[in-house]
Amino acid sequence: MTLTDASTPAIAGAAKLRHSWRGAKPWVPWVFLAIPLLFALVFKFIPLIEGIRMSFSKVQPLLGDQFTGFDNFARVLTDSRFHEAFLHTVILAVCQTITAVALGLILALLFEGASRKLQIARTVIFLPVVTAIAVIGEVWRLILQPTDSGLLNTILHWVGISTQQMLSDENSALFWVGLVGVWAAAPYNMLILLAGLVGIDRTLYEAAAVDGAGRWRRLYYIALPGLRASLSVILTLAAIRSLRVFAEVFILTGGGPAGSTEVWMTRIYSIGFDANDLGLASAAALLLLLATMILTVLARWLTNRKGAQL
Amino acid sequence: MSSPTARARKLRWNLRLVSATAVSAALIIPLTACSTEATNAAKSDTPIEIWTRSGDTQAKTYQKILAAFTADTGIKVTYKPVADFDTQLVTRATQKNLPDLFINDAGSLGQYVALGYLKQIDRTTIKGNDQLSDANWQENLGTDGKIYGVPFSRQAAVMTIRKDWREKLNLPIPKTWDDVTAMATAFATKDPDGDGKANTYGMVVPGTAQSGYIARWGSPYLWQAGGDIVKQTGGKYTSVFGAPETKRAMEWIRTQFCTPGNVVPGSINLNTTDALGFSDGKAGMYLTGAYQLTVFDKAVGKENVEVVPMPHGPKNNTTFAEGENVYFASTSKNPSGQKALAEYLITEKAQKIGMDSPAAGGPGPFTSVVRLPVNTRVDAGAVYADPRWGIVADAYRNQPHAYPWNINFIPLRQIVADNMNAMMADCNSDIPALIAKTDTALKAEIARQGI
Repeated sequence: MTLTDASTPAIAGAAKLRHSWRGAKPWVPWVFLAIPLLFALVFKFIPLIEGIRMSFSKVQPLLGDQFTGFDNFARVLTDSRFHEAFLHTVILAVCQTITAVALGLILALLFEGASRKLQIARTVIFLPVVTAIAVIGEVWRLILQPTDSGLLNTILHWVGISTQQMLSDENSALFWVGLVGVWAAAPYNMLILLAGLVGIDRTLYEAAAVDGAGRWRRLYYIALPGLRASLSVILTLAAIRSLRVFAEVFILTGGGPAGSTEVWMTRIYSIGFDANDLGLASAAALLLLLATMILTVLARWLTNRKGAQL
Repeated sequence: MSSPTARARKLRWNLRLVSATAVSAALIIPLTACSTEATNAAKSDTPIEIWTRSGDTQAKTYQKILAAFTADTGIKVTYKPVADFDTQLVTRATQKNLPDLFINDAGSLGQYVALGYLKQIDRTTIKGNDQLSDANWQENLGTDGKIYGVPFSRQAAVMTIRKDWREKLNLPIPKTWDDVTAMATAFATKDPDGDGKANTYGMVVPGTAQSGYIARWGSPYLWQAGGDIVKQTGGKYTSVFGAPETKRAMEWIRTQFCTPGNVVPGSINLNTTDALGFSDGKAGMYLTGAYQLTVFDKAVGKENVEVVPMPHGPKNNTTFAEGENVYFASTSKNPSGQKALAEYLITEKAQKIGMDSPAAGGPGPFTSVVRLPVNTRVDAGAVYADPRWGIVADAYRNQPHAYPWNINFIPLRQIVADNMNAMMADCNSDIPALIAKTDTALKAEIARQGI
C-alpha cells in the first residue's frame, strides 16, 4: 500500500506537467519522437518499400531498374530449388517448434521454484539464448565432427553406436540442424513459461490436490490453461523464427550436403549475394513476409479459439 | 509573473529541448554529410577510393603499395580491404557510388559489365600497357570486344603435398590420378605423422556448394578428363557438361569422397575458410591457389611443403588459372585518379612490392597480393627466390584454363556446384542422371541470359 500512497502525488504532478507542456507547445512530443521515427523510417519503412519495389523489377542500380511485373514471383514459385527449400523450412519449422516448446515446458516444470540451486541450473540452461548464434554454430560443428574422434561420436561409441556422418550425411543433416535449433530455442521458451507458471495462483494446485487431482490432472487442468497466454506468445515467436532460420544453417552446413538443408533464407541469400539477382531475392523475401504474417495470424487465432473452448 | 518553481521547471524543460535538438542534429548531420561525399569526389585533392577483396595480412601488402604510390605521386588514397566483397559492392552500387577502383577476381568481369559497374578502358592510353602480355589483355575483353579491366595479378591452382609425409612413406611424386588416389589412401592409413593414431587424411577438399566452392576445386579434374562446363562457338555459349568425359571425372572425385580417409571427413560441407586440414597437419594434399603457400609454410614448416607439377588425368594436366584485375568504377568522378593509380599498380615497382617476398626485402608479413606478376619485366622466380613458385609459373604458362570471364558465369558455376555436391554426398548417387540434370539446368540458364 505504501507504494500507491507515495506514487499518487507524483502521478498527479506528472499529469499537471504534461498538461502544461501540451498547452504551451504542441510540437514538443514530436521533437522527442523525431529520433526514433527517423530511425524507423530509414532502417525499416524505406527498406521495406524499396524491397517491395525491387521485387517487381530486374534490379540493376547503375543501368536503371526494369519493371518486370510478377516475373520474379513466378520464377520463385516455379523454381524447384525454392520448392525444396520451402519443404525443408516447413519441416524444420514444425518439428523444431513442437520439440522446442515441449522441451521448454518440461524444463520450466522441472526448474520452477526459488531455491538457489535451481537459479544456478536455470542460468546454465539459459546460456544458449544469450550466446551469439554464430558461436553456437561453430561449437556444434565441432561437436558434430563426423570423425571417430569427434565429440558426439566418441560419446556414441560408449553406448555401442558406430561413427555417424551427421551433418555430412544428406539423410540426417536436417535432423542435426534442427537439434541445434531446439537446443538454442528451448531455454528461451522455458523462461517465458516459467514466468507464466509463477503467475498461476498456487492455491489452485492445493485446492485441486485436496479434491484428489493427481499430478497429471493438475498439469492438464491448471498449469496448461494458466500458461495459455505464454504458449500463445511462444508459438507465435517460434513459428516466425523458424521460418526465418538462417544463421545456424548457413554456418553448420551452408545448405548442403546435396541441398538437403537448404532453407528459404539461405536460398534468398545465395540468389541475392552470390548470383546478384536482388529482384528475385526481394520477391522471395516478400513471399516469406506474407507467409510469416499469415502464420502469425493463424497461430494467434488458434490459441485464442482453444482458450475460448477451455 | 510565474512562480520560481514554474520558472525552474521551464528552464529544465528548455535544457531538455536544447539537448534533444542537439542529439537529433548530431544524428542527422552525418547522414546528410554522407550524401554530399559523392560531389566532393570531383575535386582533385579528394583521395582515390580503392577496395580489394582481402583479409588483414593481405591488406598490409596493399597498404605498402599504396603508401609507395602516395609517396611517388603525392596523390592520396583511401583504402578499404573487404572480406565479403561482392555483398558490400552491391550495397555501394545501390547507392550509385562505387569505390573509384576495385581489385577483384578476373572472372567477375562479365557480371560487373552486365550490371553496369565498369567503365570501358582504352588500352593504348594506359602508360606501360606494353609491359603486359597481349594474352593478359585479351582476358579483359567483354562480349562486345572492348576492354573492361587492367590485369593486376595472375596465378594457378597447384598440387601442394606434405613432403615429410611423402618421404616417410617412400612414395614417389604423384604423376597420374591413380597415384593421387594411392597417396591419399596411404596418408590416411599408414600414419605418416607417426603418432600411432589414425588421425591423418589424404586431401583437403572445400566441398560445399555454397559460393560454388566444390566446382572451383573440381574443375581442373573435369578439364583433365577432357570435359568442360560450357563452350563458346561462333559467339554463342553451349553446355558441354553432358559429354562422356564428365562422368569419368565425377566418378574419380566420388572415389575420393567414398574411400574412407581419402578426403578430410566432413569435407562435403566445408568452404575454404573451414577447410584447414593442411595447415592443421591433418591432411597431406591440397589442390589450391599458390597464394596459400605462405600460410602453409608458417603452419607446418617451409621444408615440409612441396609444390608438384599437376598430375595427369586421362587427357592432360590442365590447371585452374585465375587472377585479379583492377576495375574502373563507372560511377567514379575521378577518372584521372583511376588511371594514375591503375598505371602505378602495373609498374615493376608496385608489382614487386605486391609480391612481398622475403627476397624483395622489407619486413614482411610476406603475403603476396601479386601472385604471378603481370608485368613481363618482373621475373617471378627471381623475386621469390623459391623454386616452388617456378612450378606455379610453369603451370600457369603450360596448361592454364580459366572460366569464361566475359559472361555472368556465376549462376552457371553454382548449378555445377549444387549438382557436384549432390553427386559426392552419396556414394550411390546416380551420376549420369545428375550430369543430365546439370546439363539441362545449364542450358536453361544460358537461354535465360541470352548468351
